Amino acid sequence: MKLGRRAFLAAGAAVACSSAGPPPGRKVAPLWFTYGGKNRQVLEALVRSFNQSQGEHWIKPVYQGDYFEGLAKLRTALAARRAPALSHVVGEVVPYLADADVLESLDTYPGARELDVVPALGQAGSWIGGAERRLVALPFNRSTPIAYLNGRIFAEQKLAAPKTWEELRAVAARLTERAAGRVVRYGFGCPIDWWFWAALVGQAGGDVVEADGSVSLGGDAGARALDFWKTLVLEDGNMKPPPGRDYNAWEQTNQDFLASRVAMIWTSTAFLKYLEENAPFPVVAAPLPGATRRAVPTGGTHWVMLRSAPEAEKATAWAFLRFMHETENAVTWATSTGYLPVTRSAVAKLEGDGYYAKHPNDRVALDQLAVARPWPWSRDLFRVQREIVQPRLEGAVLGGRDTRAALDEARALARRWR
Amino acid sequence: MRPSRRLDPLWMLGPTVALLVLFFFVPLLQAAKSSFYDWDLLTPPRYVGLDNYRALIETGELRHALTTTLTLSVIVVLGSMSLGLALALGLNRPGRFAAFVRSAVFSAYVVSWVSVALLWLWVLDADAGAFTALCRALGIPTTNWLGNPRAALYALAGVTIWKIAGYSMVLFIAGLQDIPRSLYEAASLDGAGAWQRFVNVTWPLLRPTAAFVGTTSLIISFQVFDVVRVMTQGGPVRSTSVFVYAIYEQVFLNLRVGRASALVVVFFVMLLGLTALQLWAWRKKGAA
Repeated sequence: MKLGRRAFLAAGAAVACSSAGPPPGRKVAPLWFTYGGKNRQVLEALVRSFNQSQGEHWIKPVYQGDYFEGLAKLRTALAARRAPALSHVVGEVVPYLADADVLESLDTYPGARELDVVPALGQAGSWIGGAERRLVALPFNRSTPIAYLNGRIFAEQKLAAPKTWEELRAVAARLTERAAGRVVRYGFGCPIDWWFWAALVGQAGGDVVEADGSVSLGGDAGARALDFWKTLVLEDGNMKPPPGRDYNAWEQTNQDFLASRVAMIWTSTAFLKYLEENAPFPVVAAPLPGATRRAVPTGGTHWVMLRSAPEAEKATAWAFLRFMHETENAVTWATSTGYLPVTRSAVAKLEGDGYYAKHPNDRVALDQLAVARPWPWSRDLFRVQREIVQPRLEGAVLGGRDTRAALDEARALARRWR
Repeated sequence: MRPSRRLDPLWMLGPTVALLVLFFFVPLLQAAKSSFYDWDLLTPPRYVGLDNYRALIETGELRHALTTTLTLSVIVVLGSMSLGLALALGLNRPGRFAAFVRSAVFSAYVVSWVSVALLWLWVLDADAGAFTALCRALGIPTTNWLGNPRAALYALAGVTIWKIAGYSMVLFIAGLQDIPRSLYEAASLDGAGAWQRFVNVTWPLLRPTAAFVGTTSLIISFQVFDVVRVMTQGGPVRSTSVFVYAIYEQVFLNLRVGRASALVVVFFVMLLGLTALQLWAWRKKGAA
C-alpha cells in the first residue's frame, strides 16, 4: 500500500490521538524509540501502517527521551530483565552492547544477511570488519554531517558553497556582519562536537581511531582540524560555537540558523526536512568541504533486537524490521525526515522517480557516502569520545588551550585506557 | 513516671524509619558497595577495590567537582542572602506597590527550575539576549555567558540567585517584622543613624533568620541540577560540572556505576562533614 506523505502524517496524528490497544490475538512487541518532533510522527505513522498491514503482529512504540536517555533506560531495563524486543541505538555503542552479549544475533533470522541495505550504512560498511562479525545491527536513521546554507544570504552575496577549508574561512568572513563592535550575524556555526571534528580530521587526511583500534586522534591531521576550528572561532571570530553540549548544542545551532543569526551551519542530514520546513528562507544543502581529501563520518542509529526479550516478541520485532526495509517504507522514512534511504532499492526508486532531481538537498548526504569513513569495532570508543576527547576539544576551542598539549594528553589517557 | 505503653513510640516511628531505611540507608549502602566495583549494569560487576576513588583523584574529577560545587555554593549563598536582605529592607513597608513588587520577586521561586533555565537560556544569549543587550547599553563588556568556560559557572550562579532570592526575601521580611519597633525608637532617641540601627539592632536580631536562610540556600546550591542540565550540560570544558551533575553524567552518559557511586559516597561524606560543622557551630553558640 502506498501512502502520500500528508496521508502518512495524518495517520500518525490519528495514532497519537487514539488510545486503541492491539486487537485480540496479536503478538505484541514494544519498540523503544528516542526522538520527538517530526521524526517521531513519521515513525509512529510507519508503526501504524505496519500494525494495519497484517493481522498477526502489533508493535507498541514507546518514547524514551534522547539517544543517551534511551540508552540509559535500555541498560537499566536489561539489568532488570525487562528489556524491550526492539530499540535503536547510536552506532558508537553497538560494539559495547554486542560485547556485553545483550544483542540478538540476527543471523538466525532468515534473510537477515540478504537484506538489501546500502553497504556504507549497514553493519558491514559502518564498522571496519563489521561483515565478519555476528549480524546484530540493521541501519535505521542513518546520517552524515552536511552543510546548510541560507539561500537568500548566499544569493545576495553571490557566494557558492565552500569546497575547501580556505574557501570556508573566506566565505565565513564574507558572511559575518558586525555592527557597533558586535557580531550581528556569524558566517559559520557548528557545535564543538566530536562528530564534526572527526569529519575535519578525515578531511585533513587522518583517522580518529586507526583500523587496529588504537586511538591516534588523527596525529597531525587531528591537530590541524582542531587548529582550523580555533582559527575560525578565536582568531577570525566568524564561527559561532553554540552554548551547551551534545544535542542541546545542535539544537541551538539549528535555532541560530533558522533565525538567520548564522548564515551557514554544519549539522546532521537528520534535520533537513525540519530546517526546510521551518526556515523563512530557501535552505540549500551542500557537501562538507575537503582539505587534503574529502571525508565524513556516518552517524545516527541502528536497529537492535534484545536477546533477553521473549521469543514471541522477537518474532514480531523481526517482522517489523522486514517491513521497515521494504522499499516503500524505507523511501517514506527517508523522504519524510531527511535521513538516508537505507536500502539500495529505495535509492534506486528515488532516482528512478526523479525525486532527487526535484529535491537536490536530499541527494547531498547520499553522495557523501562515497567518502564516508567507517568506525573501528571498539567497545570503549564512546567512552573515549565522551570522557577523554570531547572535553579537550572544548578546552582547546572555547578555553584557548594549546592544541597539541590537549590532544597529546587525550591520546595518553586513551592509550592507558586500553 | 514510667510510661504505660512503652512500645507505642516505636511503632509510631516505624513507618518513618522503614521509609528512611528503604529509600535512604539501603541505597546508600548499595552505592558504597558499588563504589568498589567496575560495573556498567550490563556485564557482571568486577571488584576493583579503591580504583574508582583513585581514578576520581588522578583524573582531577573529584577536585574539579568539589571546586565547582563549592564555588557555586559560596556565590549562591552570599548572593541570595545579600539580595534577599536588600529586597526585604527595601520592600518591608505597606502599600500596594511594595506588595506587588514582593509578589513579583517571589514568583520566580515558585516557577519550575526547567522553565527558569529555558528563560535564562534566551536572556543570556551572547548575541541577542536581553541581558547582553542591557550590558551593552550600560557599556559593560559582554561575553558568551554560557559558552565561555570562565563565565558559565557565574552565569548559572546568577540564575540560581535570581530564582531563590525571593525566598530569602520573604524569610527576611518575616524576621524584620518580628523586631519590636520600640528598639528602633530607642536607638533613634540615642542618636543612632540608619546604618547604626541596622548594625546594632536589625542585623543582631536577624541572625537566626540569616542562619536559616544560609542553610537552606546552601542545601539548594548543592542540589542544583536542572539549570546545569538544561543550560550547559556541565560544559563548556566541564566548567559547570557540579557534583550532582557529575554523578548523573557518570552513571547515565558514561555508563560507570562504580565511578558514580564513589562520587555519591564522597558527596555524602562532604555533606555529613558540613552538617557536623554546622551543628558544632550552633552548639558552641548555644553554650556561649
